[in-house]
Amino acid sequence: MDDRAAALILAFAWNLFSSWIGASPGRALVRGVPRWEQDLDWNRTLRGWFTVLFIELTFFSGWLITEVDLPSFFTKFSKASDIVRGLVHPSGVVLHQGLVLLVQTVFLAFMATAFAIPLAFVLSFAAARNLTRSSRFSRVMYTAVRTGMNFTRAVEPLVWALIFISWVGIGPFAGVLALWVHSIAALTKLYSESVESIDPGPMEAITATGAGTFQVLRYGVVPQIIPPYLSFTIYRWDINVRMSTIIGFVGGGGIGYILKPRVDLGEWGQVGTLVLLIAVTVWLMDLVSAKIRERIV
Amino acid sequence: MSGGDVPAVRIEGLGKVFDGRIRALADINLTVREKEFLVVLGLSGSGKSTLLRCINRLVDATEGHVWIFGEEITAATGARLRELRRQVAMIFQQFNVVRRHSALINVLSGTLGRASLLPSLFLKFSQDDRERAVAALERVGLGGREHHRADTLSGGQQQRVAIARALLQEPKLILADEPVASLDPALRHSVMRHIEALNREEGLTVICSLHDVDLVRRYATRVVALRDGRLVWQGAPDELNRYTYREIYGTEAEPATNTVM
Repeated sequence: MDDRAAALILAFAWNLFSSWIGASPGRALVRGVPRWEQDLDWNRTLRGWFTVLFIELTFFSGWLITEVDLPSFFTKFSKASDIVRGLVHPSGVVLHQGLVLLVQTVFLAFMATAFAIPLAFVLSFAAARNLTRSSRFSRVMYTAVRTGMNFTRAVEPLVWALIFISWVGIGPFAGVLALWVHSIAALTKLYSESVESIDPGPMEAITATGAGTFQVLRYGVVPQIIPPYLSFTIYRWDINVRMSTIIGFVGGGGIGYILKPRVDLGEWGQVGTLVLLIAVTVWLMDLVSAKIRERIV
Repeated sequence: MSGGDVPAVRIEGLGKVFDGRIRALADINLTVREKEFLVVLGLSGSGKSTLLRCINRLVDATEGHVWIFGEEITAATGARLRELRRQVAMIFQQFNVVRRHSALINVLSGTLGRASLLPSLFLKFSQDDRERAVAALERVGLGGREHHRADTLSGGQQQRVAIARALLQEPKLILADEPVASLDPALRHSVMRHIEALNREEGLTVICSLHDVDLVRRYATRVVALRDGRLVWQGAPDELNRYTYREIYGTEAEPATNTVM
């Protein structure tokens, strides 16, 4: 309640302050909104005042809705010190199991990416605006694929994991499927954007030889998109490694599978070990993926 | 019509409006006889590229009809359209070779209109076509460059690869859209001479847009000029002079200083 009051007082004070430095909404109302509004400072127009008021209201509602609690943030660090101490004093107990599951994590991400490539490759042509202008059928296909992929991407991999765990059972394969579905949608979007940015010239040239649709795609489009496709695919594998470290939280396999119970039990030393393993892996993947993509492009 | 006097291209009432509001061509009527070397003159934006692309349907006209060797291409669809396109090779200002393919594969892609589908998708072509592609590269002065990737070749070399590609297509008509405009002036004749050879030696009809009057005089057998999407002038190359030049390009234009009018 105190915070709420403080927020309202702050808002009121800010409004007072702004009236003091410039104009007021009342004055703007009386004067009417002048034609040359866009040339005036914000504090001289009604629209300016409402815009500022709206931004202020959004910020202060956010403050209340998310229960911002600055006193706790600044005074109660000691409660978390156990965890931090654990994290910086990793325990060797889970090192072996952790390393084994780390390998599983990386391969989980790899398989999800590998399974996603062929589907995303085919779908990306249907989801590229520049290839789907010619007929009504292709325009419908474009809209259908785009909508489907946007929906698929909107559902988080953790939710997909829950679905696939009921489907194929707890374990890394459910994780592979969850990341696979999400990767198809993400790769289709990235791939189709690189199709949209190709030089149309070679397509024209191949069309002019009397070639059919598949030949035009093979000669006029594919050679131009191979480098960005490789680059996006490695980037996706990189992202999938990050995601596969937590997909185990819900039972999707990988290192997250043993991380979650240790968090629940408060085994902070072991959590520290696992987090370190994850950090090193993600850092390495990041490095390797950047290096490879640099080579390709 | 009997076989002998069928024109290579007949265009009637051709018009093109882009996006429902930008008019690129209006009421074009034109007949091109076999074995002509017709040059299309005009400022950039006058509709030269659109006119050429309406002939092989890279652009669909909004009004009018085009016949190629007596067959109406504006009415053709599907396999019939591709069949007609096969007879019309195109050469582009920006060469439009596939940069990541070898010169040889680029030349072989000229055969795609008649190559069998599945092998072509794996870049496989018949031994016969491969030999002809090697010979075509030889002919345009690129013997030994078969396995160079197209993007390692210079502009003039890429354009000659494009000409070799057109050769393999075995066309009856060549459309050349500003074929030398992106090239160093010193290299222009080396490319134009190959196009001329297709016209003189192989008896192919050529429709070529150009803007360098020296080149027009040297290569054209007939000239037409476009201005704001309309045909404004036609005549023989030696009829081009200061007055017709003004007519084509507008009173603001001056012939290039090195051009003797």
